Amino acid sequence: MKNWSELYRPEKIEDIVEQDEAVEKLKDYIDKFPSKKKAIILNGPPGVGKTTLVHAVANEMDSEIFELNASDLRNKSSMNEKLKPVLEQKPLFEKNKIILIDEVDGISGTDRGGVGELISLIDESKYPIVCTANDSWSQKLSPLRKKCEIVELKEISPSGIKKILIKILEKEKIKLNPSSINKISIKANGDLRSAINDLEAASKLGEDVVFEVDERNKKTDIFKTLRHIFQDKVDAEMLSSFDKVDMPLDEITLWIEENIPKVYSGKELVNACKRLCDADLFKGRIYKQQYWRFLVYENIFSSYGISEAKGEKEKKGFYKYTKPGRILKIWLSNQKYAKKKSIAIKYSQKTHVGYKRIMREWNEIRNILKNPAIQKQLKLDADEIGYVMKY
Amino acid sequence: MASEIWTEKYRPKNFEEVVGQEGIIKRIKSLTNSLNIPHLLFAGPAGTGKSTLALIVVKELFGENWKENYLELNASDERGINIVREKVKDFARTKSLGKVPFKVIFLDEADALTPEAQQALRRTMENYATTCRFVMSCNYSSKIIDPIQSRCAIFRFRLLEKKDVKKVIERISEKEKLEIDDDAIESVYEGSEGDCRRSVNLLQSLAAISPKINQELVKTIISDFKPKEVRVVLDYALSGDFENAKGKLLDLMLKESLSGQDIVKSIQKEIWNLTIEPELKVKLTEKTGEVEFRIVEGSDPFVQLQALVASFVLAGLGK
Repeated sequence: MKNWSELYRPEKIEDIVEQDEAVEKLKDYIDKFPSKKKAIILNGPPGVGKTTLVHAVANEMDSEIFELNASDLRNKSSMNEKLKPVLEQKPLFEKNKIILIDEVDGISGTDRGGVGELISLIDESKYPIVCTANDSWSQKLSPLRKKCEIVELKEISPSGIKKILIKILEKEKIKLNPSSINKISIKANGDLRSAINDLEAASKLGEDVVFEVDERNKKTDIFKTLRHIFQDKVDAEMLSSFDKVDMPLDEITLWIEENIPKVYSGKELVNACKRLCDADLFKGRIYKQQYWRFLVYENIFSSYGISEAKGEKEKKGFYKYTKPGRILKIWLSNQKYAKKKSIAIKYSQKTHVGYKRIMREWNEIRNILKNPAIQKQLKLDADEIGYVMKY
Repeated sequence: MASEIWTEKYRPKNFEEVVGQEGIIKRIKSLTNSLNIPHLLFAGPAGTGKSTLALIVVKELFGENWKENYLELNASDERGINIVREKVKDFARTKSLGKVPFKVIFLDEADALTPEAQQALRRTMENYATTCRFVMSCNYSSKIIDPIQSRCAIFRFRLLEKKDVKKVIERISEKEKLEIDDDAIESVYEGSEGDCRRSVNLLQSLAAISPKINQELVKTIISDFKPKEVRVVLDYALSGDFENAKGKLLDLMLKESLSGQDIVKSIQKEIWNLTIEPELKVKLTEKTGEVEFRIVEGSDPFVQLQALVASFVLAGLGK
């Protein structure tokens, strides 16, 4: 017997709620394939109807869906094995085909084959490829993002969820306590599937009992968390907001750092920087002392602290949050620093002076090092000479 | 082959070539003549001849074979006292050849060692007392623990006088066929703060541009040495423009590859050149000190400096 969330999965587009924009974009992509981007990612939290949407659109456009999952992509031979029927068979009655890769963020980040194989599949495919993801912004999917159009699916509003729940109850001819329905609709946090599951559980209790919903720990994406912290009115519940983001705290900190000046200005900006600085202080102390309770302070300063930097108010409006760019720059800079250091060490060996002192007095010897005879004497390699001539 | 780097090419090779420090030279000379030296501690500012004299001492003692009997270590470059001790152990294991019954270890910037590390070093000095002599250099002898000081003959190097540095510059200019006038020499001396090594480096930088050196050229070059961009960061910050200040700060760290500590030091110095209230100077210095402390403690330099810049923005808003 199917459970309700399967049983009442919409098969037609008109039964899908609150995703009109995504529907249009997906139809448009399949219609125009392959003129635009070669693949599309439906990105959104669980239970908002990503997979349902693909099936409904395929139904309407009279296409066949061929489903692959992340583990099929592990290596080329297993992928080709799976794909053979799609690529070789002529479609029955010239039906179109859509390749669906569900939950693409489940793809293995550790074995590099995964994402790489998927990208080569995208490049070669004669059929439209639709991926679904909960967090298309995760690091391991970044090469994929370049190839794909990304469509965001919104969470379903509590009232939208409620309407559907009532419809299901009518079909099942079951009556339920109205406050149970309200609770389920609200606590679902936009996850329609979980609401239907809760409804099914509640229906077994009978009309008199008010169903208590235990909240699910839901992962949210970093953008939502940033919006929450930077723009919503400060609230103690923010202290746990990073727990819901599937990203290490160090990485979250970089996102916050990058986006502080995008939202805050003036005094708010100064305050926020100081809070971040305090958070970082405790982070340093954790590493230094190996005393992990300091994590509490790091977390408080970087969530509540950052939010409070604007005072007790909301910030309305649209701000464009961007992903952090400093790490790449730091990496490049470290490469350069390493070069400077290796030159300084070579110089130091010839001159009875410590290399750290050379680094400090770099500007004073920089021009001397441009002399080719000295470069030869110090046995600088081509890279090091390049560095000397450039800086 | 003579070195192309002038600080080496013109480094004095014997006692007679050394300028200044007459008293010290006399005493050291009599020690080396007796072919037996105690441990030596050279204290004094940078560029006054500490390393040079250490080299002369070993050359006088060992003649041709000085390289086999001499180990040079830099305390601030070595990673920890254990590395220093290992190197000393390796070096001291074999006996010196020739008429001098010991080898010489030169430990530069010894005051970079923590007191605990110095205690460990003291044990090493005792263990190898029969086969090794230590020559240590430091900027401040007060940073060397008493037990080590008491085991050493101490020589205090004074900053070279202007006439001495002048003599060095003139000598090199003549050999390298440079035309340099008195005003320019004066500026070279001022610009390198009496540090003879830096004077010579400055002279070579100048010579790379032109064999005719006047005061103007010296001043341009010196201003080029100064990390002026820290000022740009602070100016943006004080004018309330955090975005640009932050951008410049990142540039400074990345393009110039300056470390966070370099920058915080420059900021600390630059505060005194800003036209702000004295009270603000004190407050900003306090913030700067805190940030330097945090960076040393292991915090992320960029995040810390960014907050410091934010403090400057706030100071600018209050103006």
